[in-house]
Amino acid sequence: MTATISRRYRGRQRVKDRFISIFIGIFALVWIFPIVWTLWSSLRPYSEIRANGVFSVPESIGLDNYSTAIQRMDLPTYLWNSLIITAPAVFLTLLFGSVTAFVVSRYSFRWNVSMLLLFTAGNLLPPQLVFIPVFKAYLTVGDWLGNRRLFYDSQWGVVLIHVAFQMGFATFVLSSYMKTIPKEISEAAKVDGASVFRHYWNVMLPLLRPPLASLAVLMTTWIYNDFFWALVLMSNDSKRPITSALGRLQGEFVTDYNLLAAGAMIAALPTLVVFFILRRQFVSGLTLGATKG
Amino acid sequence: MGDMDRSVLTSQGFRPNRRQFLIGAAGVLGAGALMSSCGGSSSLSFGARTVDDGPTRQLKGLISAYEAASGNTVVYNATESNAFQNNLSQYLQGTPDDCFQWMAGYRMQFFAEQGLLTDISDVWDEIGDQFNDSYKIASTGLDGKQYFVPQSWYPWGLHFRKSMLAELGIDPDGIYNWDDFMGMLDGMKSKGLIGFAAGDKGGWEAMGTFDILNARINGYQYHVDLMAGREQWTDARTREVFTYWEQLVPYMNDNVLDLEWDGAMQLLLQRKAGAMLMGSWFGGNFLEQSQEDYDDLWIIPFPEINPEHARDTIDAPIDGFCVAANGENSDGGKDLIKFAGSKEGMQAMLDTGEPMTSANKNQDTSSYDAFQKQQLAVMEEAKYITQFLDRDTRPDFAGPVVGPAIQQWFRDPSSVDGILESLQEQWDALPPL
Repeated sequence: MTATISRRYRGRQRVKDRFISIFIGIFALVWIFPIVWTLWSSLRPYSEIRANGVFSVPESIGLDNYSTAIQRMDLPTYLWNSLIITAPAVFLTLLFGSVTAFVVSRYSFRWNVSMLLLFTAGNLLPPQLVFIPVFKAYLTVGDWLGNRRLFYDSQWGVVLIHVAFQMGFATFVLSSYMKTIPKEISEAAKVDGASVFRHYWNVMLPLLRPPLASLAVLMTTWIYNDFFWALVLMSNDSKRPITSALGRLQGEFVTDYNLLAAGAMIAALPTLVVFFILRRQFVSGLTLGATKG
Repeated sequence: MGDMDRSVLTSQGFRPNRRQFLIGAAGVLGAGALMSSCGGSSSLSFGARTVDDGPTRQLKGLISAYEAASGNTVVYNATESNAFQNNLSQYLQGTPDDCFQWMAGYRMQFFAEQGLLTDISDVWDEIGDQFNDSYKIASTGLDGKQYFVPQSWYPWGLHFRKSMLAELGIDPDGIYNWDDFMGMLDGMKSKGLIGFAAGDKGGWEAMGTFDILNARINGYQYHVDLMAGREQWTDARTREVFTYWEQLVPYMNDNVLDLEWDGAMQLLLQRKAGAMLMGSWFGGNFLEQSQEDYDDLWIIPFPEINPEHARDTIDAPIDGFCVAANGENSDGGKDLIKFAGSKEGMQAMLDTGEPMTSANKNQDTSSYDAFQKQQLAVMEEAKYITQFLDRDTRPDFAGPVVGPAIQQWFRDPSSVDGILESLQEQWDALPPL
């Protein structure tokens, strides 16, 4: 009797598993297809596509597009630009985000919930809506201080706006995580006479490593992939990040999509590297905040 | 670098006051700011709206000729054209280059009205006699002053391969009016070819067809008035344009909305299509494929429909230069733009060997190849020049409204009345400028 039940149960489970596998498989294909297609395109010359069409049988396959792309994109300059925008922006976002989260979650005062709400709400505004005021403010403040390019047309201005925009999300995630850390730890620190700064720096910050790591990956990806702010807040293209260099592969009238595909593959590499370095923390960081221990 | 620049550098290096200290503290930005503050009479900046190889060579040829002629130094900044165009408003309000590359007509007037361009009427006093009147009109703002110096143009016409027409036994010179044209299309269709290659995925490609049909059927004045809102989209005359257009649909490829303009061009390049209405700029693409393909390419004016208007109008967008009002060295910008418009400046660009049809009427055209000379001939037949729909009407109407409307028409040509009504409604609902 029990044997038949468990056999029937096992059979049903197997069908279910198979169904789920097929389902996941289909989705995996849907996700992988564009990447594989980009990779495939990047290996073929445009002249062949132009003459024979996209679905033609390839006559030649090679890495020519990659070498052309690296040269046309002026890769070292633009990668460097991306680095000096992304690295400080991520660092400052995490620093300020963790400080704010620490205060709103560890100290109770009248406005701490509304403050948290304010930070999160700021994140909901689309950049397209606020870029004109930001742009005007950058110019005005720059004019006051006697240098129009103090914020506008400068990489620091772009760093600043990224910090402002991403801080809300960082604060939100970090404060939710901090609420799961037992209050007793904080109380013990206070009893031992830790100052507010020591409490933050030596007690809380080490405990925040997993969410900080996962946020670092997310922030790096978002800021690195940004094109909009760099476009509207800078006027000189040679200061813009790598997303703008991709545009250099695009002609005014003709777009060599195969070359562009190669460029996209190159531009995507650094985010992948960051992801693989922080991968373990990324996954554990995502789940750690989810359950209250 | 002049003395002024050096003094800026010294004060920065040895006696930093508070303001400069702030700049210094900004690190990377400081370096950028320092470089760009090298204004003075001897240094200016030029903004190119292209990163393509050919045009870049051409512009650098112009810049180095200018530097040699004037002794000034020019900083060359290049931005990819779409990014440049989308960001132009911010660019001009912020820290623009002194002289930059732009387009004539409405797109220039729009920014001139906002006070973002420098009045260069005095430049026109000096070099104006080197341009035909139609160019001066295209360079003039709504206030009657000039804000633009033309560099080059390209005509929109009927392009085909000479060899294909010869195989079909058609004489290109014999295609003058609509009946000749339909005869040619029938000939191509009977050979299993696409007669009239079209792509409208981008939403702008088919605007050229609308322009030329409207100008052929209703004349230049009607077209210009319609673009400016003085005529109605619901007018029976506008409706007539779509009646003719619909006659072309059976000869088109059936994936018009899936192809961008270069998809349509590929059909011509691959000899799958007989003819295409397009701007001649794409000749460069044929040349890139092979010299043979380029030599095979030809252009004629779009056929006559209404004998009253014959073939008197052509879409020929003019590209050129403007001087920014917020630049650091507007006088330098004016000096550069004057050189760019002059015969010597144009010659410097032509000398780079890149194909270009100069806007200067005194230009020596002996270096033009056969296709370029034919472009000139096509251009000379026309009395009126239009700039292309998305340059002739409000930018907030052309791209977001007319483009999708034409795409919708391609999906269902019978819905034309509803589409035209909606176009008129949306025009009426536009906020005043």
